[in-house]
Amino acid sequence: MAVCCRLLMLLTLLTLLCVQPGAAQKKKENMLVEKVEQMMDWSSRRSVIRMNGDKFRRFVKAPPRNYSVIVMFTALQPQRQCSVCRQANEEYQVLANSWRYSSAFSNKLFFTVVDYDEGADVFQQLNMNSAPTFMHFPAKGKPKRADTFDLQRIGFASEQLAKWIADRTDVQIRVFRPPNYSGTIALALLVSLVGGLLYLRRNNLEFIYNKTGWAMAALCVVFAMTSGQMWNHIRGPPYAHKNPQNGQVSYIHGSSQAQFVAESHIILLLNAAITMGMVLLNEAATSKGDVGKRRIICLVGLGLVVFFFSFLLSIFRSKYHGYPYSFLIK
Amino acid sequence: MAEQHTASDCKQRASQGAGGSVSGNGRPNTAAGCGGGGGGLSGGLTQPAGWQSLLSFTILFLAWLAGFSSRLFAVIRFESIIHEFDPWFNYRSTHHLSTNGFYEFLNWFDERAWYPLGRIVGGTVYPGLMVTAGLIHYLLNLLNVTVHIRDVCVFLAPIFSGLTAISTFLLTRELWNQGAGLLAACFIAIVPGYISRSVAGSFDNEGIAIFALQFTYYLWVKSVKTGSVFWTIGCCLSYFYMVSAWGGYVFIINLIPLHVFVLLLMQRYSRRLYIAYSTFYIVGLVLSMQIPFVGFQPIRTSEHMAAAGVFALLQAYAFLQYLKDRLTKQEFQTLFFLGVSLAAGVVFLTVIYLTYTGETPNLPDSVCFRYAKIHIPIIASVSEHQPTTWVSFFFDLHILVCTFPAGLWFCIKNINDERVFVALYAISAVYFAGVMVRLMLTLTPVVCMLSAIAFSSVFEHYLGDDMKRENPPAEDSKEGLGPNIKSIVTMLMLMLLMMFAVHCTWVTSNAYSSPSVVLASYNHDGSRNILDDFREAYYWLRQNTDEHARVMSWWDYGYQIAGMANRTTLVDNNTWNNSHIALVGKAMSSNESAAYEIMKSLDVDYVLIIFGGVIGYSGDDINKFLWMVRIAEGEHPKDIRESDYFTPQGEFRVDKAGSPTLLNCLMYKMSYYRFGEMQVTLDFRTPPGFDRTRNAEIGNKDIRLKHLEEAFTSEHWLVRIYRVKKQENRQALDHKDLLSVLI
Repeated sequence: MAVCCRLLMLLTLLTLLCVQPGAAQKKKENMLVEKVEQMMDWSSRRSVIRMNGDKFRRFVKAPPRNYSVIVMFTALQPQRQCSVCRQANEEYQVLANSWRYSSAFSNKLFFTVVDYDEGADVFQQLNMNSAPTFMHFPAKGKPKRADTFDLQRIGFASEQLAKWIADRTDVQIRVFRPPNYSGTIALALLVSLVGGLLYLRRNNLEFIYNKTGWAMAALCVVFAMTSGQMWNHIRGPPYAHKNPQNGQVSYIHGSSQAQFVAESHIILLLNAAITMGMVLLNEAATSKGDVGKRRIICLVGLGLVVFFFSFLLSIFRSKYHGYPYSFLIK
Repeated sequence: MAEQHTASDCKQRASQGAGGSVSGNGRPNTAAGCGGGGGGLSGGLTQPAGWQSLLSFTILFLAWLAGFSSRLFAVIRFESIIHEFDPWFNYRSTHHLSTNGFYEFLNWFDERAWYPLGRIVGGTVYPGLMVTAGLIHYLLNLLNVTVHIRDVCVFLAPIFSGLTAISTFLLTRELWNQGAGLLAACFIAIVPGYISRSVAGSFDNEGIAIFALQFTYYLWVKSVKTGSVFWTIGCCLSYFYMVSAWGGYVFIINLIPLHVFVLLLMQRYSRRLYIAYSTFYIVGLVLSMQIPFVGFQPIRTSEHMAAAGVFALLQAYAFLQYLKDRLTKQEFQTLFFLGVSLAAGVVFLTVIYLTYTGETPNLPDSVCFRYAKIHIPIIASVSEHQPTTWVSFFFDLHILVCTFPAGLWFCIKNINDERVFVALYAISAVYFAGVMVRLMLTLTPVVCMLSAIAFSSVFEHYLGDDMKRENPPAEDSKEGLGPNIKSIVTMLMLMLLMMFAVHCTWVTSNAYSSPSVVLASYNHDGSRNILDDFREAYYWLRQNTDEHARVMSWWDYGYQIAGMANRTTLVDNNTWNNSHIALVGKAMSSNESAAYEIMKSLDVDYVLIIFGGVIGYSGDDINKFLWMVRIAEGEHPKDIRESDYFTPQGEFRVDKAGSPTLLNCLMYKMSYYRFGEMQVTLDFRTPPGFDRTRNAEIGNKDIRLKHLEEAFTSEHWLVRIYRVKKQENRQALDHKDLLSVLI
């Protein structure tokens, strides 16, 4: 009996032992199915899945996978001040939506995002020190060098991303940009608002004939352009530069080829002050009023022109090395 | 008598350079202010008008002289030579025009460019520049003044700067008054923003186009003011000249309709406006279509649609005005309502139709431009296509950039028909100048005019003497500011203008007067070395190679090779065929045997490269090399990959750490062939083969060329020319190698 018992036990043990791998396999499959389902569930809700450290390790890093994952590592929190991240994110959303709503949508490919503020550990783990970065985690094996998208060189247009994804995963995504109605809507709103205002004030349309208002608007455009706001808009420079060593903040860029946002604002004010000085000089001579007052206006105008122009000249001189001339201020 | 002194004073200073005329030019207002007191001289000078016109003539003449002479720095320092790149093409075609005649020029098929494709020159250039220079040359020769066509070309832009000054004077006089006009003429004569494109030797479209632009605007303002067909026809002819000279005519054909449109909105419609615009649109359209390069564009492309739309609008408006006079109010309202709904329906249907057929009109170029720049490397690689920093504005316009808003302010505060025009001109030009640095050129004239208005109105009030007024009753209500304050203001303003003149001269001399064909370097003691390597090499090509030899080089040097060496080139600065350029870029960035295949298929006999490593010239081909790779990659992504040319750390290095692809590509080999054994500096602490441009010891010193041989290297190694070995020659020598290449 005892022998029998033992045999039985052994048998059970054996069977248990034999069953174990099979069960593990099954469990793995279950896990995979579960993971895919989970991922599908998420991506049906949002085309780009947000991940934190745990989720990233479980769904992207951990081995049982039969799907490719594209991960954007980014820092979208406003306090990070990463304007590139936001632009890249928009392009990424366009791409992910194109995939999500395309007829070829399947569980072969998922788009995810890891924000630095939610998964800083992931950044450390991958030794990553710049954002945004796009990486592809293939279904099998580890990511290779080409699985990191070369952002510096190709840029982050969704067409380029799609090309890269097609190259890495054989999934072709036709980028469909939703026509951007926001501009049109904003314009229509503005027009209707202005129209409405005009209609409400139809009995008193004097303000349209107000030359000062129009002159102000024209000068605003001129000042914005001559101080290089268009350059800022296209190039997106930082507001000012803070020296990491001694914490000094410099508002003026050292080279004549570039500028900071703060610097362009300073220039805008200087230009406006000089213009105002010229207008005041003219005003002082033409207006009818107390002579003493006019003299003061005249001197203020002159001071504005001369002082701010020499200030402007000195800023220019500090940027344009080798420029020999200055006036009042070195 | 004071005026006489001023004039002679002005002359003296102007002869010293650009400076003087500005400091003296506040004074025409003195003439206007106290011209009545200037009697005592005989003849016409007893009249105030006589004084005024004498002064105006003198000042304009001096402005012309100052503008002309300040553009001569390059001629005096170097010689009478055509500058840079594009002017060489213009010069070559002008030469063709003057030797073969006008019709031959219009039919010219240039087989020496874009080998093997060739280029139809007559139909792909704005011929205005060539025809102007050719005509001047013809007239001078007719008068037995024998000058070479080159000298006509070199001095054309400085001469036209004087004409620009005069047309700016005329335009500003129409807008404000004579004094402001004279000031504006002096400003435009020496302002760096315009000098940058019109120094002697810079024989380019812009040099004459700014004159045409300003003159067209003057005639337009004149025709709006008078409503006479005579002035409008003049405006059309001037517009025709502008179209023949520069692609920037699009600015005119959009600004004038905008002016008309805004005038309509401001309810400033008049018969004069109707006559002016209707005539201008029709005659201008027909004339502009006579230029082969423009052809049917004015009725096809979206840039010209605004003009057509405004034309239709103006007709409708005029028709409504006509009806308004004939019908009762009730009838008119019904008709108006019907008309508007009909028009809206037509517009709606057109939009739907266009969207349906997928032919939505293109956005104007400037808007698309930003997107094109990202995607097409060849556009991004041109440094002129960049937005403008405030430093460039200040550099090119100095005090004018801070004072012209005041002029704009005065214009808008005292608005009339023509001041609407100048305000629109200023706002649109400043926007375009902000987007693209080269469009600073179109901003410069309007800045000069408005700034002149600002300064002139200040001088008008502060320069005149209160005491000498003839009729004090008008003035007695307001007392003068007093002579002290007035003279302080005047002095400081004159000082600012003087600084402007000094700045202009400095900028012209330092930044805009380098021919870039001949380089100059300065020693420690200030003496000058002239590096004439480019011309040396081109002359070598001209003398020592077969007349039909084909020279491969990067596109920057295409025009110069064609112009100076008179040899066939593969690509040039007229970058119309991106894939051809990419092929050359591919040859430069492949290894030698792959490059040899390409060169064989393109029948290349010589390869010319620019190498600055010996003298430290930073604009050489190795520094441009990444653009070649990028452009090649755009067309051949399978064969060329930009990342191969970087180190794993993502750096572009030519030393030992550089990527092996770079160290073995054709461009690298040709640049550094025999360079490894050369002691570049006298200082023996640096190793041989030390590249002074990139401050690195080169990584591949043992360069052997298989399919090429060095043919010529200029004195400072700036230009290197290689001969591509012929196949027959090699067959006998090196049989195996050929087989391996063929297989």
